[in-house]
Amino acid sequence: MSATEVVLRTEDLGYAYQTGRFALRHLNIDLHRGEILGLLGRNGAGKTTTVRVLTTLLPPTEGTAWVLGQDVRTAGRALRARLGVVLQSESLDFVTVERNLVLYAFMWGVPRETAKARSEEMLELFELGAVRHRKPWALSGGERRRFQVARELMHDMDILFLDEPTVGLDAFSRRRILRYLRERAQGGLSIMFTTHILHEADTLCDRIAVLREGSLLALDTPEVLKKRYGGAREVRVRFERSLALPLVAEFERGLSERGVSLRTLEGGDRPGTPREEFVFRSQRVEGLLPWISGWASSRSMEISSLSVSEPTLEGAFLGMLGEGEEEEERGPGGSAPRDAARPTSPEALETATSAPGGVAPPVPTNGRFPGSPP
Amino acid sequence: MKLGLPPVLRLVVRNFASNFDPFSVVVRFGQPAMTIVVLGTMFSTIVHSSSLGGSTSYTAFLVPGMVAFQMVSGGVVSGNLFWLDRRWSMVEQIFSGPFLRSEYLAGLVLTTLLFSMVGVGVMVAVAVPFIGLPALSLLSILTVLATVGVGGIFFAGLLIALGTRLRSANAYFSIQSFLQLFLIFLSTVYYPVGPGTPKALAWILNGNPLSFAANTTRDAFRGTLTSTDAMNLAILAALALAAFLAAVIGFRRMNLGPIQ
Repeated sequence: MSATEVVLRTEDLGYAYQTGRFALRHLNIDLHRGEILGLLGRNGAGKTTTVRVLTTLLPPTEGTAWVLGQDVRTAGRALRARLGVVLQSESLDFVTVERNLVLYAFMWGVPRETAKARSEEMLELFELGAVRHRKPWALSGGERRRFQVARELMHDMDILFLDEPTVGLDAFSRRRILRYLRERAQGGLSIMFTTHILHEADTLCDRIAVLREGSLLALDTPEVLKKRYGGAREVRVRFERSLALPLVAEFERGLSERGVSLRTLEGGDRPGTPREEFVFRSQRVEGLLPWISGWASSRSMEISSLSVSEPTLEGAFLGMLGEGEEEEERGPGGSAPRDAARPTSPEALETATSAPGGVAPPVPTNGRFPGSPP
Repeated sequence: MKLGLPPVLRLVVRNFASNFDPFSVVVRFGQPAMTIVVLGTMFSTIVHSSSLGGSTSYTAFLVPGMVAFQMVSGGVVSGNLFWLDRRWSMVEQIFSGPFLRSEYLAGLVLTTLLFSMVGVGVMVAVAVPFIGLPALSLLSILTVLATVGVGGIFFAGLLIALGTRLRSANAYFSIQSFLQLFLIFLSTVYYPVGPGTPKALAWILNGNPLSFAANTTRDAFRGTLTSTDAMNLAILAALALAAFLAAVIGFRRMNLGPIQ
């Protein structure tokens, strides 16, 4: 099978409740072999409905979807035997964690020896060894979630659907699970993943589909989404001493002339106050930093710290859903190739998961930047 | 390599393995067994056998009743199992796997039958020291098993149909308890309908499906099966079919979302 093989495709897929209200409408997405596709959206955006329709739990009321070459309207057991589904709601059997794993594997027809070996692997991988003899209701919320993901991985599958699998997990567990999922995807498993943790989607997903009120708003790589919709980057500059009022006004005027809206300037609503720190947002940071450096040098001002945040998926998400502060600054959406560079190494994942928002460390400047006037 | 066991049997194994903790099994079988031992012994000393319609003692009268009651026990097991599966989203989880809804339902029915049959065996075993080994003909044995089995499907179907509609655990378990009490106390499990029974009560007792099962089982134990018993069994089968159809319809319409 080729690396770009499409394992899932929807065409104008929709689902309407009996009341006629649409939970999902005109959904056009695809999923490739070995790809991790994130589904983002506010509560009630249609993420879970999408998963349930694609796993044949709900019949679509309009459009079509092919999963592993089969129409979800008519596909049954043969299709579901090749899918893994971690539901949003807790699903538990009343036996011990270890027995649960083996029993679930048995239900899927996994031979006993394979099930036993795999259960040991999952207990270790998902750090459930210490609670292996406990019943699921005696587990913490995070342990239950880990258990649910572990249980689903007891059987073989071609596509794994994960509906908010990391809810309630601590950072360590989340990192471990995401790393494992990334490894499985590299091994050819296709994953559809819903989450509200945006930096997690940013870290893990090859592409992200954003849903709003059941409709697809955008589908692209996290990089492209951030670039298109991520809005301005936050710049935080602190001078060694407070700027007198004329200098504050001059600095702000300079920023304004370079496209920084004073509306985005923190503290800008308190004119006439001496200040030493300025926080603002701009999409043209590269041109701005040398000017700040030069302005400070020319006035014998020392910059004690300066940091620039990277565009975040959260910014893009909020922007797309009309919740951002700078909607007017964003351009239109579109699609892009799915092969944009993604963090694939454990180290990259680690860095990304431990630095939500990707805020760059403060830059020691002393009024100078690479490329800035001396 | 995959196991060759059919999906329905895999579900039955799972039903037994995942939902029957030893304590609840002991309670479910122990309660009717204790009824035979204690109630049978105590009432045998005060109830004259002439009022028991041919039974030699109250224990001999009670045992077939408790055997018939296994239809309720089996039905309750499946009904509760389904409810818990629904409550803990296992129904949805199972349906997202390589199983059909009909297989899940068939798994519940098979679980009911197996549990009821085991219950019949336990009741007979407990009764042996008190009434001796019943001399049952092959026809009697088949009649008892068919009666309890069909009755079990009736009660399981009823509870499953109920479980597909209700979204509250309190409502489900309240109705289930009431149905159990209603079925057992307004049936001929503990007492016969005699000439002195008030007409309204006699009408209710005689119309109770558990009474059909208890009367037929009793006749099988006594070796006095008649065409009335065949009719009882037929009515029970019709009721079981109706309850099962209600369960199937409920299943088809069931909303798989989380419930409380």
